[in-house]
Amino acid sequence: MDIGDCYVGWATDEDIRTRGASGGLVTAMLAAALEKGLVEAVVVLKKLGEFEAVPIVTSDPEEVKAAAGSMHSVPIVLSRYLEYGTKVALPAKPCDARSTIEQAKRGQVDIDTTYIVGLNCGGTMHPAMTREMLETVYKLDPEEIVGEEIDKGKLIFETKDGEEHAIKIDELEEDGYGRRESCQYCAVNIPTMADIACGNWGVIGDLAGKGTFVEINTEKGIAILENAIDAGAVEITPADEKGKAIRAKVDGAMMKVAAAADKKYLSPIEGSHLDYYINALSDCINCGACKTVCPVCACGEGAKCTEFSSSSDTYKMSLFHLVRFVHLMDSCIGCGQCTDVCPADIPLTHIYQRFARPIQDEFEYKPGMDMTTPPFFGVDLLEEGH
Amino acid sequence: MNENIFTTVCPGCSIACGMYVREKDDGTFNIDWRKDAVVNAGKLCRFGVRLPANLKAAVSKVDGNEVELSDAVTALGNAIGDGAAFVSVGNTTCEEHLALMKLAESKGAVVNTGMGAFSAISAECHSTMGVGVPLDAIESAKKIVLFIDPYEQYPLLVRRILAGKKNGATVTAVGWKAVSLADDNKTIDPANYESELALDSDSVIIAEINPSTDPERVMVLLNLAKASGAAIMFMKPFVNAVGCDLASKKTEQKSLDQIIAEINDGSIKTLVCLDSDLIEIMPDETAVREALGKLDNLIVITSRASAIADVANIVVATEPFYKKAGTVVNAEGRAVVGSGEGTDGIDAIGVMLGQPADLFAELNSAVLATLGIDAVDERVIPVYEKPEYGVMDANPTAEEVETALVYAGGPFFWNGIVDDNDFVEMNLDMLTANSLLKGIPAKIVSDKGEVVIKYKVSDVAPGVVLSNMKLPMTTGMVTSVTVSR
Ligand SMILES: Cc1cc2nc3c(=O)[nH]c(=O)nc-3n(C[C@H](O)[C@H](O)[C@H](O)COP(=O)(O)OP(=O)(O)OC[C@H]3O[C@@H](n4cnc5c(N)ncnc54)[C@H](O)[C@@H]3O)c2cc1C
Ligand code: SF4
Ligand code: SF4
Ligand code: SF4
Ligand code: SF4
Repeated sequence: MDIGDCYVGWATDEDIRTRGASGGLVTAMLAAALEKGLVEAVVVLKKLGEFEAVPIVTSDPEEVKAAAGSMHSVPIVLSRYLEYGTKVALPAKPCDARSTIEQAKRGQVDIDTTYIVGLNCGGTMHPAMTREMLETVYKLDPEEIVGEEIDKGKLIFETKDGEEHAIKIDELEEDGYGRRESCQYCAVNIPTMADIACGNWGVIGDLAGKGTFVEINTEKGIAILENAIDAGAVEITPADEKGKAIRAKVDGAMMKVAAAADKKYLSPIEGSHLDYYINALSDCINCGACKTVCPVCACGEGAKCTEFSSSSDTYKMSLFHLVRFVHLMDSCIGCGQCTDVCPADIPLTHIYQRFARPIQDEFEYKPGMDMTTPPFFGVDLLEEGH
Repeated sequence: MNENIFTTVCPGCSIACGMYVREKDDGTFNIDWRKDAVVNAGKLCRFGVRLPANLKAAVSKVDGNEVELSDAVTALGNAIGDGAAFVSVGNTTCEEHLALMKLAESKGAVVNTGMGAFSAISAECHSTMGVGVPLDAIESAKKIVLFIDPYEQYPLLVRRILAGKKNGATVTAVGWKAVSLADDNKTIDPANYESELALDSDSVIIAEINPSTDPERVMVLLNLAKASGAAIMFMKPFVNAVGCDLASKKTEQKSLDQIIAEINDGSIKTLVCLDSDLIEIMPDETAVREALGKLDNLIVITSRASAIADVANIVVATEPFYKKAGTVVNAEGRAVVGSGEGTDGIDAIGVMLGQPADLFAELNSAVLATLGIDAVDERVIPVYEKPEYGVMDANPTAEEVETALVYAGGPFFWNGIVDDNDFVEMNLDMLTANSLLKGIPAKIVSDKGEVVIKYKVSDVAPGVVLSNMKLPMTTGMVTSVTVSR
């Protein structure tokens, strides 16, 4: 097995294969990593309801197995739950994987002992929006939903009576529903930065719906997959060229969709930029949640953004935000967590991306894609004569 | 690394925002965002976000010495005689509150929720004073009138009000400080509320009832709602104030001020407080401490360490709020239950009552019966009868002081926590009139004492010094003061 190889794989356990999102390969791989001692812990989502799950860090393979399946209405980034020094594996959407890497650059994650099992990602939805969309657009009772999937550009809900209800995602998003705004312009669909990238794109023929497409990106990727094969937990077959081509084509098409969303949402600010930021932040209640959830922020309690600002300040815009905008310019990955938790419903990701994009574009640097640091980190002050 | 994850609600105020608590083996915990929570879509204010810093576990004590819970319970049994007074403002579950009611009943007493407005206003109004409107109703109102500062006092209302505005509502704020989300910030004489606010049945009034609220002000607002047909919602500072009020219905209640007065005149010798820290809740901390010092027995049943536990004769420490089994009813009247299974407080009371171990089940059935439901579903608000009430003759006391120190009272205030609230606010005219200088703190003096404190210039009403932290020199929610450099 080599870096760059592509396979289609599945769990040998029929139950895991059936409950898994595509072939149950990810679940089988994570559980085998625990069972065979490759890792001490795994981060997965513990399902509490159709639209509710909570991240757990577990050493129990049964909990990992119970977590099989993709939850599109659980927009949570899992990298926040990693603990330094633990040999750990996590399923990782591109935003999970990219933030893990950004944390590794800041010494918060030991990349050598962290197995990033990447999941392709077309986007997630906020559960509150999903429920509202079900009631108003699908005319369905959210409590009647027993399953959900995305297929051929449609968002499909299955109800208790076995019926499927499909609506085109484009149409939903035109009406303000569907994926979170940040997911609409997120242009990284295949987690090339993960140790191994898994998804359903490119699984064709008899295996469609019953297999997971995997691309090996690193030695750790080889290790975690071979470990699972050795344990008898998964089987693989080389991916055929047609499957690879389809995967690349869908990825390309999704990138175009993201670029269009980019234009739609992140168009230049009209009028005074300062007024824009002051107005956008005027309802901030200083809760600090946006900092706490940010998966690329590595500052603890005594951070510059909090230490230099106080509710007793009378600045038109708090230093908390100003410091954070500047501080996250190089690292904001647009994961949407800050917007999700803001109690004043401020579209923070939008604002952070507005700040970060120009500088990331200028330096042709995309955070979280690999372990290289941004160019401006590398400036040698002594050489510059300072 | 092992964690127990609890689905729970924030204990910071009567919005009862859904959240997770992740508790480690060593008892320390973090919070997490529960995005599928119907009340708040997982969003939390600073109090909820900082809950790990705000909530410290309680320790059982007898006469200042740490003891086992069972020993504290035995001491409690021996100490409660007839004539004890009981307080539970609503910081615990309905079931635990009911357990205390049973204990009080066995001693011929009642449990006081301490909300003076409820004892002063006729029972036909209680349902309207207790249960508000669904938070969604704020989003669909045409007019929203605020008698609170949502940013400071009930922060998870902010997004609801903003959504209402987006849907076309106009927002009027009547308060001490201009709030930026209001289209109109006004000071109105209560006599003119009706004419100046011009409300109708598409309007929502948002106000507050706390233990120090002047009942006459509540009456004025009830009259306003009645006359205009507007919906009215009284927020409360305690997470389950509504549930505990519902559980306590039909019993005679005393206000906290009355209880303190009765301690001072010697008619109350033993006081039992269930998750109710009068030192933190009442504005004049010195007066409360003095009164509590006169008791023969101060008994505190509590889930968190707080000032009153430090001066109590007996502390019965129960599990933290997020671990409790039981029901909470928020300001909307929505019933919620967490995943906690703890019944320490109920069991302790059960021991004293000689009850079998399934006291919780009995109390839980009683709670469901009161709410008229078979089971709690956080997505379906129980139906509450709100009887018609008559117009009341109300004369709120006008605050006739030249300079007033006023408490806004947010979650940090009610829990006696100094956070990012260690400053006062006043307008620019106050600064010039009192020769305050930038960077130099203000000296605020009352009859009782003085403090020197940072200040911030805000759009606060003339003559008002606004504070969200309790200052030691205050005598009430409004204190006459002078301000100088
Ligand atoms: C939100 C989301 C969107 C996706 N979009 C695409 C797509 O557009 N194209 C594509 O090819 N593949 C997509 N995938 C990947 C695909 O759905 C499968 O996860 C992948 O094929 C692996 O399948 P499996 O059966 O091996 O995984 P499983 O064995 O089912 O294991 C899935 C693992 O993912 C974890 N998980 C579930 N939901 C989430 C979540 N929201 N965030 C983080 N971890 C989660 C579970 O805890 C579990 O460990 C998406 C996955 C997710 C979670
Ligand atoms: S930000 Fe990107 S990777 Fe993360 S959930 Fe949204 S689409 Fe997926
Ligand atoms: S600033 Fe917001 S969008 Fe950017 S990485 Fe942090 S949480 Fe994600
Ligand atoms: S999450 Fe929202 S309200 Fe809280 S500090 Fe950030 S911007 Fe302000
Ligand atoms: S204090 Fe109130 S508004 Fe704030 S998180 Fe807690 S319950 Fe919600």
